[in-house]
Amino acid sequence: MVDAARHPKVDVRTYTEVERVEGFVGNFKILLREKSRYVHADRCNGCGECAQVCPIEVPNYFDMHLAPRKAAYVPMSQSVPLIYNIDMDACIHCYKCVEACGKLEAIDFSIEDNLVWEDIGSVVVATGYDHFDPSVIPEYGYGRFPNVITAMEMERLNNSAGPTAGELIRPSDGASPKRLAIINCVGSRDKRFNPWCSNFCCMYAIKNAILLKQAHPDTNISIYYMDIRTPSKGYEEFYDRAREMGIRFIQGRPSLITEDPDTRNLFVHSENMDLGRTIELEYDMVMLNQAAVPQPDVDTVSSVLNISQSPGGWFMEYHPKLRPMDSPTDGIFLAGACQGVKDIPASVAQGSAAASRAGRVLHADEWEIEPTVAYVWEDRCVSAQDKKCGVCAKACPYNAIEVVQGQAAKVITAKCHGCGGCVAECPHNAITQLHFTDAQILAQIHALLGEKPEEKILAFRCHWCSYGGADLAGTSHFEYSSNERGLRMMCSARMDSDFIYEAFRLGAGAVLYSGCHEQDCHYITGQPVGARRADRLLKTFDKMGMTAGRFRIAWISAAEGDKYARVINEMQETLDSIPKQQLLEEIELLRPQMEKRARRMREVPQVEAAIEYADQLKVAVTEREVQ
Amino acid sequence: MVDHGSRDGTFADQVRASPGGDKLTYCFSCGTCTATCPINWVEENYNPRRIIRLVMLGMKEQVLSDPVIWLCSACDICYRRCPQDIRISDVMKAIRDVAIQEGYEPTRAIAKVNERACAGCGMCIQACPYEAIELTSTWVTIQQTMRQRRAVPKVNKFLCQGCGICTATCPVSAISLTEVSDDTIVAQIRAFAEETGK
Repeated sequence: MVDAARHPKVDVRTYTEVERVEGFVGNFKILLREKSRYVHADRCNGCGECAQVCPIEVPNYFDMHLAPRKAAYVPMSQSVPLIYNIDMDACIHCYKCVEACGKLEAIDFSIEDNLVWEDIGSVVVATGYDHFDPSVIPEYGYGRFPNVITAMEMERLNNSAGPTAGELIRPSDGASPKRLAIINCVGSRDKRFNPWCSNFCCMYAIKNAILLKQAHPDTNISIYYMDIRTPSKGYEEFYDRAREMGIRFIQGRPSLITEDPDTRNLFVHSENMDLGRTIELEYDMVMLNQAAVPQPDVDTVSSVLNISQSPGGWFMEYHPKLRPMDSPTDGIFLAGACQGVKDIPASVAQGSAAASRAGRVLHADEWEIEPTVAYVWEDRCVSAQDKKCGVCAKACPYNAIEVVQGQAAKVITAKCHGCGGCVAECPHNAITQLHFTDAQILAQIHALLGEKPEEKILAFRCHWCSYGGADLAGTSHFEYSSNERGLRMMCSARMDSDFIYEAFRLGAGAVLYSGCHEQDCHYITGQPVGARRADRLLKTFDKMGMTAGRFRIAWISAAEGDKYARVINEMQETLDSIPKQQLLEEIELLRPQMEKRARRMREVPQVEAAIEYADQLKVAVTEREVQ
Repeated sequence: MVDHGSRDGTFADQVRASPGGDKLTYCFSCGTCTATCPINWVEENYNPRRIIRLVMLGMKEQVLSDPVIWLCSACDICYRRCPQDIRISDVMKAIRDVAIQEGYEPTRAIAKVNERACAGCGMCIQACPYEAIELTSTWVTIQQTMRQRRAVPKVNKFLCQGCGICTATCPVSAISLTEVSDDTIVAQIRAFAEETGK
């Protein structure tokens, strides 16, 4: 940290909060609130005279409130920069510190927070995690029994720079504990609080046990666990070493801790799974290895940076396996436990990866994005006609569309990832997607349904999953009906209702609406937008009286080639089960309704021309075949 | 040794299909329920974690014939502490339901009505937390030669958990537990008083 602060190209801003982030990859503007320390940073030399004279003592947060600090303080001895800070919540304005500071005149009670805008190229979010508060678990008695402490309190007690100078003592009487219990999974792997495994606590418990055993070999240490998880390199060997040193591992989650009110000793009740019997053992001190939980202000951070959260409150990565250090917003990267619980080696690796990703942005003069971005026809947008709309902005998972009433919706191209959700959602057909324009797709539909449409199964596939699924079905030689005709779009969110109406208007036998499973969506929330629309369509067709099975929704991943083949074959069976005459009658019966619904699509620029061209092409091909 | 032949692969599914047994497979065997259970303090053979394991393993005969499955009193302390949100009393009830379907009889104490002494007031029905008692009209033999039709409570032996609230409520002591009658308890108190000399 000190090295970073001294580096000529690193600007460390501590005690500063990011208030707003505007712009996009490579061109962010951020508003920083440099909080007032009430000390001039350029004048303070960190001598500490102010703290010595300060009469106010408050619990020290850094020491987990085990020791006091003054109202004039540095948060910890390695603070960067080493500048004193006046805690205004505790200060009584006696001004003794000002006197002590003397000629330096570093302390100034009139300094206010400083707001500055900065231009930056990329952002790495490394806000870390917080500790679960075990006082909400009544059976463990944290907060009621003084000798039940948390892992962080143990860390401070056992630290040579801590409040006891590394001397391990019991909080109740200052005696040195001879029997210590460490309880794992406090608040984690627990559906009442946090369902996740906190990843590093098993190793953390073993580390603390080994350190204590080395410093005090006569201490009797037991670790209560449900499972010991030591999957990384060298971890299992570390666990072996702990057992060789005589640390006792008891499989069984404690159900209750009770206290002897006289000696303040603790009794831990648990089942010993190896014996299959309940045991009650006496200890001088109990350490609760709490769960890692997201920081309390994750919601603020995610709204400021416009990055989404996974279940539980961890920041969401672009892709859990392939891009774990990228946030879904270009130019914003994730490092460490804020993205999900991880230990030090994993955090360092992710941090380095995120830094190099961020560096790539800084070194680029131009930034390449997918060319399939959205484009607004300003004359068609109703927002420009001073009407309230904003449907497109709601559908966008990347906040790439700005809608101001009175002006046409504006797509920030650098933020657009090209899912096409806005295009399909726009009720006035005022947006299109480059390379996937309405005209292009409708022309494809016309071409695919050119001959005997009632025999065809038109399959709308998303680029990432169901198209891959169809591809896999092909390369794996899974047989499926040759009446299937596939159409690729980037996301199921792009599959406009108008396309489906047009397909049925042309007399398609069956239509498949397919895409990724919800959790696999490559556009954060693209699939849910598509899924909602597909469900609406299914209901509409049901009301119209369409035979069930002619319109089908299927979520198929790229690995599910067999499912793709099965779905198509099932649809073919459905088609075969309808007598031909009945099917043709149904198509004719529904055609006026489909025509009515698909009519507005024709107003879109280029559509008429494209359809005409597709139809002419069809006629030309047919004529050539006849000859 | 537990070999393939001694297991019934459908047993766990049978329990899961019974009402309350659906969360059976959530259990990851942490042992909190066993360490919590007040019944385990007095009857060490009652180990809910072990019973769930045996069910999952398919040890049908061993589980259903074991008298301990009838011991759970549904106090639900374990439910409050279970990290997997399993209501173990419901799972035990599901196991008992399977036992009853398979023809096993409950082996715990249940309430028994002395029909001749009963006044038919129905206070026991209101007191029962398990809705195990209902009033029925039956012929009651009052004397050797005299029978009378009376409204008498009837205990459903499958629903009764043997808590004894009804026995304490009954104003005429006409209902008692099969294995722990009022007389037994009174005799125990007398013996205790004599021993301590008070």
